[in-house]
Amino acid sequence: MTRLACFYVPMFVLAARLRSEPDLLNEAVGIVEGNGSNAHIVAATRRARKKGIQPGQSLAQARSLLPKLIARGRDAECERTAQEALLEVAETFSPRVEDAGEGVVFLDVTGMERHFADFGSGESGVGSRSDEEKVTPAISDTRHPTPDSQNSEIRLARAALRACDAISLPARVGIAASKLAARVAAELPKSPIVVAPGEEATFLAPLPLTRLSPELEAAAMLQRFGLSSIGDLAKLPESEIASRLGEVGRELHWAARGIDPRPLMPRPLPPEFREGMELEWPLVALEPFLFIANAALDRLSKRMEIQGFACKRLEFTLTLDPEGYDARGIDLPAPTRDVKTMLTLMRLDLEKTPPGAPVVGFSFVAHPDRPRRAQLSLFGPSAVSPEKLATTIAKLVSILGDGRVGMPMTVDGHLPERYSINVFSPPPPPDMKRTPARARGLLAVRTFRPPIPIEVTTREAEGDDVQIASIRSIADSAPPSPAPNARNRIEAGAKVEIGGTVRICSGPWRIEEGWWSDRPDIREYWDVELERGGVYRVFRGGATEWFVDARYEM
Amino acid sequence: MAVLARRLTTQFQLLEAPTILKPAISPQIVESEALRNLRATLEASIAAKLTSGSELVRAVARQRREEILPTTIPPLDALLGGGLARGKMTEIAGRGTRFSIVIATLAAATSIGEAAALIDASDSFDPQLAEAAGVDLRRLLWVRPQTMKETVTAAEMTGATGFQLVIIDMGSRRPPGRRVPDAAWVRLARVAESHGATILVSAPYALTGTTSEAMILAHAPRPRWLGRGNAPRVLAGVETKLKLEKHRRLRPGQTTTVFFQCEEAVGSTQAAVMTIPTADTRQPTARAKAS
Repeated sequence: MTRLACFYVPMFVLAARLRSEPDLLNEAVGIVEGNGSNAHIVAATRRARKKGIQPGQSLAQARSLLPKLIARGRDAECERTAQEALLEVAETFSPRVEDAGEGVVFLDVTGMERHFADFGSGESGVGSRSDEEKVTPAISDTRHPTPDSQNSEIRLARAALRACDAISLPARVGIAASKLAARVAAELPKSPIVVAPGEEATFLAPLPLTRLSPELEAAAMLQRFGLSSIGDLAKLPESEIASRLGEVGRELHWAARGIDPRPLMPRPLPPEFREGMELEWPLVALEPFLFIANAALDRLSKRMEIQGFACKRLEFTLTLDPEGYDARGIDLPAPTRDVKTMLTLMRLDLEKTPPGAPVVGFSFVAHPDRPRRAQLSLFGPSAVSPEKLATTIAKLVSILGDGRVGMPMTVDGHLPERYSINVFSPPPPPDMKRTPARARGLLAVRTFRPPIPIEVTTREAEGDDVQIASIRSIADSAPPSPAPNARNRIEAGAKVEIGGTVRICSGPWRIEEGWWSDRPDIREYWDVELERGGVYRVFRGGATEWFVDARYEM
Repeated sequence: MAVLARRLTTQFQLLEAPTILKPAISPQIVESEALRNLRATLEASIAAKLTSGSELVRAVARQRREEILPTTIPPLDALLGGGLARGKMTEIAGRGTRFSIVIATLAAATSIGEAAALIDASDSFDPQLAEAAGVDLRRLLWVRPQTMKETVTAAEMTGATGFQLVIIDMGSRRPPGRRVPDAAWVRLARVAESHGATILVSAPYALTGTTSEAMILAHAPRPRWLGRGNAPRVLAGVETKLKLEKHRRLRPGQTTTVFFQCEEAVGSTQAAVMTIPTADTRQPTARAKAS
């Protein structure tokens, strides 16, 4: 028999708002819908309700009862992301999940209770992990004995409650054979409730008719007939009800008997994760925005963790005041769930190009990807954890900028300064430890990027060759530094002063690349040792252009 | 240089303080009574092979302390007692061929499958030459910071991530900008200790102070040319003298000379290389002893 669970968040509008603003949890808060004189309360916290604030009251009435009432408008973005988060929690319990909207989610848990079976105290497994508390039959439907499968379902429901609590949504859970019974069970205050298979009608019988379907006008009419409970309706003949109330009455009678023909409509998995909210007032400074963004990214990260994903690309849209949007995207160097890294990248992006107007709302979209995994070796050198590596690289990129972190790559060609930087993704280490090969003992050169222009005096040598007599760097050759705080920057070659009489000159060695093109790159290289010390690699790029591109390691 | 020498001498004296090293715990002290009884009941051959958990932990820690990463430059390895100590920070300072040592160490680490990070503060790394020297570029993370602070931060982050070898190369000139506080080097040494990373700092002057395990001073190098008179010259290579300025386990003051040859002159410099002493490890001079 099919078993369905229902996750229900009471006062979903309020719960979604409090999830985004947890500081308001213990305050007297009212969620308001409508503007001006039409503004009315749709939900209120316990503290506000104790003071007499009720849904349906106008904001003016509520303020007269409680002047310090904190009023918040309905936030569609908050509600949407809270619903997404609820669906994602449900997907950790079952692959078949239906989105019923407004804090209600149905999921097919047929057979899932086996994961929560009681294996005894000495066993390890999913069931024992989730079963810290002893099952108390009083919480379930106590009128019937609870077999093992029901105990397992209760453990499943409790695990679901804990998972919902972890994402700051106070949900209730009901499990039954039909969607209707599961929803009614979830709406009852004592949660979780598991309705035994085939006992739906018995479970529903003592409940008031309004529980069945509060929206139906027929329920009110039936109450006028003198029917107070669902059981009273179920006892009547179906044909009599249908003849008086029509098709609606027939459906109501089926529901009273626990029959719900509606199947579960599973939703496809979302390709992305969203978080966002509308702000109460426009933000003009970066720090307050990042403070709110940090909390939203934290929620986003937790949701991705539940699904086993990491963020590969983060898109964020800022709603500007009075109108307009600012949409941006950040490609992360490797999939990561590290909030600090994402926040730093966001900060750098916003500092680089500010939005230009106050921000009154935001929406984050994380494009998920599977985090890197690797099998670690027992006997070989220890491998770097892929997840930690991804986070570190992302942090380094955020600190140093693009193109300054990665795996160096050689580029095919004859010019020595060619290189490229690729994404660092090391191969797995060998299974067994190796002995390092003896070094070749090559002399390293320190490359100047970019090459330093120099003035050269030459002397004639045998044949057509040219020998260098002295060199001197051109003073104005240093390119302007792009960094604003150039005072604290290490400039590798820009301010290196090279000059002096050449003691020994070796060369030239000719390089020609792109001879087939209109502008071939023809160079002549020399190695020169100066009288004052230092051996440099000098090349002539054109007829009169001379450069030093490296210094032999001294 | 005189200032530098005075500073290093001071550092060395500080490092001789015995409190820095933890005293070894005798296995007898921690051997529990249960283990003693168990050993007594077993045959001697089996009891000898029995190891308690605490003994195993200590043995693993000792093995880790004693593990080294050879630079694969025999004279330098001899000077350092086998190579760079794992979980420690080693520094090479001076005007000598530091970058060649860096490249050789990178080649040694990556050739055995370890992940290495090069924090290249002067942005002077040449991937083509490194590949020719035997560096497995797939296992090398190249980081190019622009300030001293970024350099130390990057080294700390990569060390804490699990890279077995982290090399900081400061280039050939004193980096501009503010000095990083000494606490940064202490923190870096702790990262090396806690993650078992080998950290090599290559700088034109001493930076790490008392936090490094060993300090090598690379003297000014001398280039060697092939060819005489009017004959065309070819740069054969460069030789440099290295001196062990301090070491926590070895006696300092030893010197050696290493020779690095040019790639273009590899085939023709065998004779020249042979004439240069490659393992000239001498005892400290009388003047060094006196100081």
